[in-house]
Amino acid sequence: MTMHTTTPAAQAAPCAGARWQGNGVSDIRRRMVDRVATALCWAATVLVLLMLFSILFVLVRNGVGGLRWVTFVHVTLPPGQAGGLANAIVGSLIQTGLAVLIGAPVGLLVGIYLAEFTATDGKLINFVRFVSDLLLSAPSILVGLFIYMIVVVPSGHFSGIAGALALSMLVVPVVVRTTEDMLRLVPLAMREAAIALGAPRWRMILFVCLRAAREGVATGILLALARVSGETAPLLFTSLGNMNWSIAPGKPMASLPVTIYQYAGAAYADWTALAWTGALLITTGILMINITVRLGLGRNRK
Amino acid sequence: MTVAHNDAVPAAISVRNLDFYYGAHHALKDISIDFPQGQVTGMIGPSGCGKSTLLRVLNRMYDLYPGQRATGEVIFDGCNIIGPKVNLNVLRSRVGMVFQKPTPFPMSIYDNIAFGVRLHERLDRAAMEARVEDVLRRVALWPEVRDRLRDSAAALSGGQQQRLCIARTIATRPEVVLLDEPTSALDPVSTARIEELLDELKADFTIAIVTHNLQQAARCADQVAFFYMGEVVEVDSADRMFTTPREKRTQDYITGRFG
Repeated sequence: MTMHTTTPAAQAAPCAGARWQGNGVSDIRRRMVDRVATALCWAATVLVLLMLFSILFVLVRNGVGGLRWVTFVHVTLPPGQAGGLANAIVGSLIQTGLAVLIGAPVGLLVGIYLAEFTATDGKLINFVRFVSDLLLSAPSILVGLFIYMIVVVPSGHFSGIAGALALSMLVVPVVVRTTEDMLRLVPLAMREAAIALGAPRWRMILFVCLRAAREGVATGILLALARVSGETAPLLFTSLGNMNWSIAPGKPMASLPVTIYQYAGAAYADWTALAWTGALLITTGILMINITVRLGLGRNRK
Repeated sequence: MTVAHNDAVPAAISVRNLDFYYGAHHALKDISIDFPQGQVTGMIGPSGCGKSTLLRVLNRMYDLYPGQRATGEVIFDGCNIIGPKVNLNVLRSRVGMVFQKPTPFPMSIYDNIAFGVRLHERLDRAAMEARVEDVLRRVALWPEVRDRLRDSAAALSGGQQQRLCIARTIATRPEVVLLDEPTSALDPVSTARIEELLDELKADFTIAIVTHNLQQAARCADQVAFFYMGEVVEVDSADRMFTTPREKRTQDYITGRFG
C-alpha cells in the first residue's frame, strides 16, 4: 500500500548537499568560456546582418529614386535623354527564363540518374557527380568563354540565346545537386513498396520518388534561377548587351547585370542612378525568390 | 530437415532446395517449404535467420540489388519464379508484399490504391471507385476515410497507414500476400486489428507473415516455420509447434532460451 509514497523531507531539501557542488575545479573557467563563445557568436551574427542591411540600405537609398514609370517602359538611351531599363529588364527575364527552361530538365535527368542508378553504374556515377561539382564551382566567366567559342564564334554574332545557354550551364549543376540530394532522402522502403506492387522502375521514379521529393526539387530550380539572375560574367561574351529594344533571341540582348556593369562605371549621373535602380531590382527579385523558397519549405515541414 | 506435408491443401508456393546469397554470404541454406493455399504461414526465428530473405525471394525483391542471387526452385503456378524468364512486374502483382513500416505514397488515399491497380488494369472511373471502396472496406478503413479519400495519406495514423498499405496490396488482386513484420511498428490496438484482418483475408489469399512476436504467430498462423541460421529447422501446425516442438532448437527458441 505504501509502495508509492515518498518521504516529504527528501523533496523539501534544497539542492545544497556535497554532491550538488560539482567538482568545483573548472566551474568559473567553464562559465567564462561560455560567455566569450556566446559573445563571439553574437558579434559575428551582428556583423553579417549589418553588412547585409547596409547593402540593402544603400541600394534602396540610391536606387529608389529611379523606380519611376519611365524606367520600366523606356529603353536605355544616351546620357541626358531620360532613358529607362526596359530592354535590360525584359532581356534578363528572357535569358534567365530560357536558361532555366534549358538547364532544369537536363539537371533533373542527371540528378535522377545519379540518385537512382548507383547500384548498377557506381563508377560512372562518381565521375559524373565529380564533373557536375566541378561545374558548380567553375568561374562563370569561363562558362561564358566556352559558349563564346562553341556558339558565338561559329554563328558569327552575339545573341540572347548564347547568353541563355551560358546561364543554363550554371543552372544544370545546381539542379543536379539538389535533385540528387532530395531523391536520396526518399526512403528505400517507399521505393520497394512501389516495386512490390509491380511498378516498373521508371514509374516508381517518376510517380513515387520524384513526387515525394517535388518541393525540394522545385526549390533547387528556384535557387538556380536566383543564382543566374545576377550573373554578369557569362553574358559579356555571349549576349553582349544591347542599347536598343530587342527581344529576338538570335540578336545581341540587353540584361540587367550587364547594363549595371556598363552604367555603374560611367561618368554620367543619370546612368549611375539607373545602375543603382537596376541593382535594386535584381536584389529585390532574388530576395523574393528566396522568400518564396523559404515559405514553400516551411509549409512542407508542417 | 522437415517439409510440411499438408495433404488436404495444395501448395500455392513450393520452395525446393533454395539457396540464397548476399554476395559471398550464404543466407539461405537448402530451404524447402510449402505455403498451403488459403492458409497463413508464420515465419519465426531470431534476427538474421533468413525469414525476411525468403520473403524477398518469393516476389523477387532481391532483383533490385546486384550481388544478391538465388538458386533452386520456387514453384508458383507451375513456374519456377527464380528462373530467368519471369515477368517480374506480373509476378509482383500476383505476389504482393506489405512492409514493416507503413509506406504510404506521397499522394491521396484514393491514389495510393489506384496507383497499383492502374499498373495492371484499365478500369473506368466507376470501376476504380468501386475497387477502392471494396478494398478499403475489407481492411475496415472505409468508415474512417470515406469522406477524405482525396486527402494526403500521410495524415493517417500509423495503424491506418498500414491498413491502407494492405488495401493497396490486395487491390491488385494478388494470390499470395507477403507480410514482413507488419505490426512491429504499431501499437497493440492497431496490431489486434491487423491480426483480425489477416484472419478474414486468408479466405481469398495465401498469406506468409514474418513476425518476431510468437504470440502473434500462435494467434494468426495455421502453419509455423522456425528459421535458424539460414535453415528451416521445423515446419508444423501452429498448435503442435508451440506445444510439442520436435526439435530441441525450436523448443529453446519458443521458450526464450536464445534468440
